[in-house]
Amino acid sequence: MTQKEVYDKVVSVLVEEFEVEDDDINLDANLFTDLKLDSLDAIDLMVTLDKELGIEIKTEEMKDLRTIKDVCDFVLATSNNE
Amino acid sequence: MKRVVITGVGLNSPLGNSYEELYESLRDEKCGIEYVPEWEEIDHLGIKVAGVVKNIDFKSIPRKYRRSMDRVAQLSAISTSDAIADANLPQEIISSKRCGIAFGSTMGGNETLFEYIPEIKQSMSFRGQNSMAFLKIMSHTVAANLAQMFSIKGRNIPTCSACTSSAQAIGAGYESIKYGMSDVMICGGAEGIHYLAGGVFDVMGAASTKHNNEPKVASRPFDESRDGLVLGEGSGAVVLEELDHALTRGAKVYGEVIGYATSCDGEHITTPSKEGMMQVMETSLEDASIEPKEIEYINAHATATQMGDIAESSATFNLFGSNTPVSSTKGHMGHLLGGCGVVESIICLIALNKSFLPKTMNFKTLDKECANINVLGENMQKDITIAMNNNFAFGGINSSLIFKKYKG
Repeated sequence: MTQKEVYDKVVSVLVEEFEVEDDDINLDANLFTDLKLDSLDAIDLMVTLDKELGIEIKTEEMKDLRTIKDVCDFVLATSNNE
Repeated sequence: MKRVVITGVGLNSPLGNSYEELYESLRDEKCGIEYVPEWEEIDHLGIKVAGVVKNIDFKSIPRKYRRSMDRVAQLSAISTSDAIADANLPQEIISSKRCGIAFGSTMGGNETLFEYIPEIKQSMSFRGQNSMAFLKIMSHTVAANLAQMFSIKGRNIPTCSACTSSAQAIGAGYESIKYGMSDVMICGGAEGIHYLAGGVFDVMGAASTKHNNEPKVASRPFDESRDGLVLGEGSGAVVLEELDHALTRGAKVYGEVIGYATSCDGEHITTPSKEGMMQVMETSLEDASIEPKEIEYINAHATATQMGDIAESSATFNLFGSNTPVSSTKGHMGHLLGGCGVVESIICLIALNKSFLPKTMNFKTLDKECANINVLGENMQKDITIAMNNNFAFGGINSSLIFKKYKG
């Protein structure tokens, strides 16, 4: 997957599943302070990405993810490793 | 002892989504039961009709709260929001330690349950399971979700006892205030429609199966031609308040709760006991310190099952004789399970405030095996002061609530 494909997928999941406003999303947006998600939302975001992209993401690997860029980089790295 | 009054009402039912809509539907003899085409896909499910709630916008619940709610909790959230607004309850009262909640349902979220368990069983893995599923399924999902949504900090009493869930919730709230432990209790219950409930009663031979082509005449409480119950979905919430607390803040009063009892038969898991039913009504009358002759209207549980209606008519006759007007409103909307106790209590408030006693929809001839009670076959206009609402659940769980018109 390309960086753009991952970003577009993350954006579409955030908008459709988490009802985040499209305008609030950018690479630097913080999941918790800017997008007002919480730790359970973060888990469910990764679960949804796992389902949609078929990549396994372990909960303990997510604890350092803060921004949309963190999520995209993590998904991309995991996807490439698989 | 404190006096307990009702200062707010909210509901979502097959007969409408407000106190006034419910009154108008009953007055105009509407029926909220309809054919459910999706149930045709289920093999060996005889019942294909149900009472369904319409015209509600679940997206009005912020996603932050909606994410952990299945349909049963979402219905409850909307009813509770309406009840709180109706009572004009300020947030500082809702979030004080003297305001609590009692709320129940038969099941948690069935829609989620039916996705979650099969997926795990099939894959033998929790991979791909989100964090919200269990919070939608758990037995106290409604009480837990409402408490966080409305920032309730006082008592939280989940009452999950099937058909007596919301009657027991009102009873628990009433006792919390009466005995001085709370000033305000938000009470109610709900059920979301799902074919599981239809199947459960169908398997036991207790669901109506003969009127799938004519849903409006499917539910016939007390009638000789009844062939079983029809399920419905719905929710209701009432704000109970200590009388002086309500008067001090100038709240409007729908009525007073003056009596409550709950009991169990301790006999059979499904067969109702007329002695148990009679006992709970007697104990409720004792709690209210009134005589049976003072009850001027009874909203019966009467689900239109063979055994249940016979037992209830007998218990009712033994205490009240043949004169007291009795009706079951399950002919209009079906059996709301966890929601029936509160919605039927709200119908008692309508009876008190509108001088209106609803008929029993589809009732023509009293089953000869029923005792000779005064089942209303037509709507009645009558000024009354005291009404009783009875509900009974699987497990022989009984409840009886008594409401009185508030005259200041």
